[in-house]
Amino acid sequence: METSDSECFESADEEIYAENENKKSKKVAGSPPSKEIPCETEHISYLKTEETKNERTNILDSNLQVDEDKPTKIGLSNTNEPEVITDNNTSNIQEEDEVNMWDEDEDWEPVETKTEIKPSESPPLTINRIWGWDLSAMLNAATVGVTAVTTQVSQGLSNVLETGIGAPDPAELARRTTQEEHTHDAEITEPSTNSSTNLFGFGNLVSGVTQITKLVETTGNKVILGGLDTLETIGKKTMQVLQEGDPGLKKKRALLKIEGEKPVLSHILREAKEKAELENRLLEEQHFARKANYESLFDDHQGLVHLEALEMLSKQCSIKLERLIESQSGRELVELQETMNQIVELCELVDDDDELEDASEIKEKLDTAVSEMVINISYDKVLTTRKEAEQWLDNLHLGVCSELELHEQAIDTLAQLTALAVERYHKIGELLLIKEHRSTADEADSLVQVTTILTALIGNMATKFSNKLSEKLSDSTHKDHINTLITNVYFESANSTSYLKNAFQLLIPVLQVGAI
Amino acid sequence: MSYAYLFKYIIIGDTGVGKSCLLLQFTDKRFQPVHDLTIGVEFGARMITIDGKQIKLQIWDTAGQEAFRSITRSYYRGAAGALLVYDITRRETFNHLTTWLEDARQHSNSNMVIMLIGNKSDLESRREVKKEEGEAFAREHGLVFMETSAKTAANVEEAFINTAREIYEKIQEGVFDINNEANGIKIGPQHSPTNPSLPGTGGQGGSQGGGCC
Ligand SMILES: Nc1nc2c(ncn2[C@@H]2O[C@H](COP(=O)(O)OP(=O)(O)O)[C@@H](O)[C@H]2O)c(=O)[nH]1
Ligand SMILES: [Mg+2]
Repeated sequence: METSDSECFESADEEIYAENENKKSKKVAGSPPSKEIPCETEHISYLKTEETKNERTNILDSNLQVDEDKPTKIGLSNTNEPEVITDNNTSNIQEEDEVNMWDEDEDWEPVETKTEIKPSESPPLTINRIWGWDLSAMLNAATVGVTAVTTQVSQGLSNVLETGIGAPDPAELARRTTQEEHTHDAEITEPSTNSSTNLFGFGNLVSGVTQITKLVETTGNKVILGGLDTLETIGKKTMQVLQEGDPGLKKKRALLKIEGEKPVLSHILREAKEKAELENRLLEEQHFARKANYESLFDDHQGLVHLEALEMLSKQCSIKLERLIESQSGRELVELQETMNQIVELCELVDDDDELEDASEIKEKLDTAVSEMVINISYDKVLTTRKEAEQWLDNLHLGVCSELELHEQAIDTLAQLTALAVERYHKIGELLLIKEHRSTADEADSLVQVTTILTALIGNMATKFSNKLSEKLSDSTHKDHINTLITNVYFESANSTSYLKNAFQLLIPVLQVGAI
Repeated sequence: MSYAYLFKYIIIGDTGVGKSCLLLQFTDKRFQPVHDLTIGVEFGARMITIDGKQIKLQIWDTAGQEAFRSITRSYYRGAAGALLVYDITRRETFNHLTTWLEDARQHSNSNMVIMLIGNKSDLESRREVKKEEGEAFAREHGLVFMETSAKTAANVEEAFINTAREIYEKIQEGVFDINNEANGIKIGPQHSPTNPSLPGTGGQGGSQGGGCC
């Protein structure tokens, strides 16, 4: 289990590039980020890439419109035959000898994401998208458990929810799934026909999530409070829809296993952030106060760019592993896959509701956990930020601090803590990859502990802010407003947690590379 | 902080040539003589204006050490611009340029604008690489060239901004497919060109604390 990664790490470059070239086209499948959580009960290795292409085309077709003018190919990472194929559209931006693995797949229809939604005329398309998203959420649920669904739903997109962009008809959706009556229609803003959405090609993902979050919102704000019932309700109906013509979800499962179809969380977040910013600017123009936007703040604190870099690292390790797996057969292959799966199992987080002690104990716990990794990394910045926020709260004069300001501070603190933590995951990934002697089991164990502590820390912070907000309830005339803010703080806290878990998941290939 | 475009830059070159100092000078307008060794990659960002458009430069400052080479290579992708830096007082950093250039060309997209930078121009007395040599290398390899000093800030703005200008021109000429994120260009959230009202506050930050009360 000991090796230096430098050499193993070299070779994966061409693929990852070719893949980046096609990022835009890859995102169309609408599968959620945490699909990569590879803890599947059936032990299907997520590293495998061999899947039936035609089946996937079907699914894609139902979600997308074909635009003949712009043939963007979507394909599998097919590393067996690195041929030189240059697509007309990309030849000018690609070196001649670049291997574009996406172009090798002849079966693929040229697809272009069309995300211009005119709500009045295309609700069916929207519904498709919603299922497209929820589909993946459910499949994850089937394999990873309900936690994953919570993750899906809260995956950093709550501000889209809050700003209400891109929500053609959640009412209809909610009716279909929960039969519940509600009155939120009035709040729904029309989706702006957003050029950036089209350009980045993941607008449908985001709007899909918007739908879900809206739906969750309209069905009683229960997500954060562990309202798994709500999620299960969504899930059951979705499951039925999904199963139509695809018993056992074979095809969809196949679709979701494909690494290449994984949407990249940082892009989804960026998109969400941009939408929110746009909305904010519109609000500003109308002299409304700028809302505290989690995604923007997360980006301001460099969370997004670290996440993006971490994804690049992770991807490169995955490609390396894929290659290795493809090169193996027979018993060796089985053993390799077992090793890979064991590592995944080692990375499973257990829910523990340990109360967080005081600052010094948190530090001690973190230090102990981190030391197992045997790399030079400290969590001082995270701890300092936490402490500062605590002090800020302690010195707060509730009488003169408006609930909006308090809320803003809460969101900023959560975003900052999360960004710092994500930055640490990224740094850990880099340091592990240059580490001489890897000890994968210890590293995994350490990361499990660290993640557990950090999520507790963030949850704890959110509670502190919420408690302060609650204190304002007693003598306030707008209790509803305050309650909404409290809910939002918890919501963003759940978001934060899922970013951390996602970042941890991204490190799994880094750990796996260390074990080969 | 809304922008019309976001350009991803990457700074590469041997360790110690002043990459991190150049970044800090550009984003924060200050020089910090003692710098932590960069691990993997660090980031900086700043807003600039070109042709009346707000452009956010997102800069990836890589570690020059050999140990990090394979890691930093994975970050080349999707960069629209690269600053390839050597130290005019250390010839070996100049000698390594070819390797760096090969690396960059191999792992990034072919339209990436590469700016060659001879840094530490303030140390004229210790110069080991003539300006003409830098110019010749740049000419030979089709790069833009500039000597800078992260210490005195000479040419630092120009280096970053001229690179952005090249990229911008390439966009105008249609060389860059801006719809393809792999080119290191992102289009900002639906910008209204009529009203670039937001102040171009430099860089990241997002200060916490202060308190609202
Ligand atoms: N005199 C002078 N020193 C510089 C300049 N730029 C960087 N340095 C010094 O060179 C050393 C290495 O700089 P650093 O930015 O860390 O290099 P990096 O490894 O390329 O990121 C530091 O001690 C800096 O103080 C410059 O323009 N002039
Ligand atoms: Mg440096």
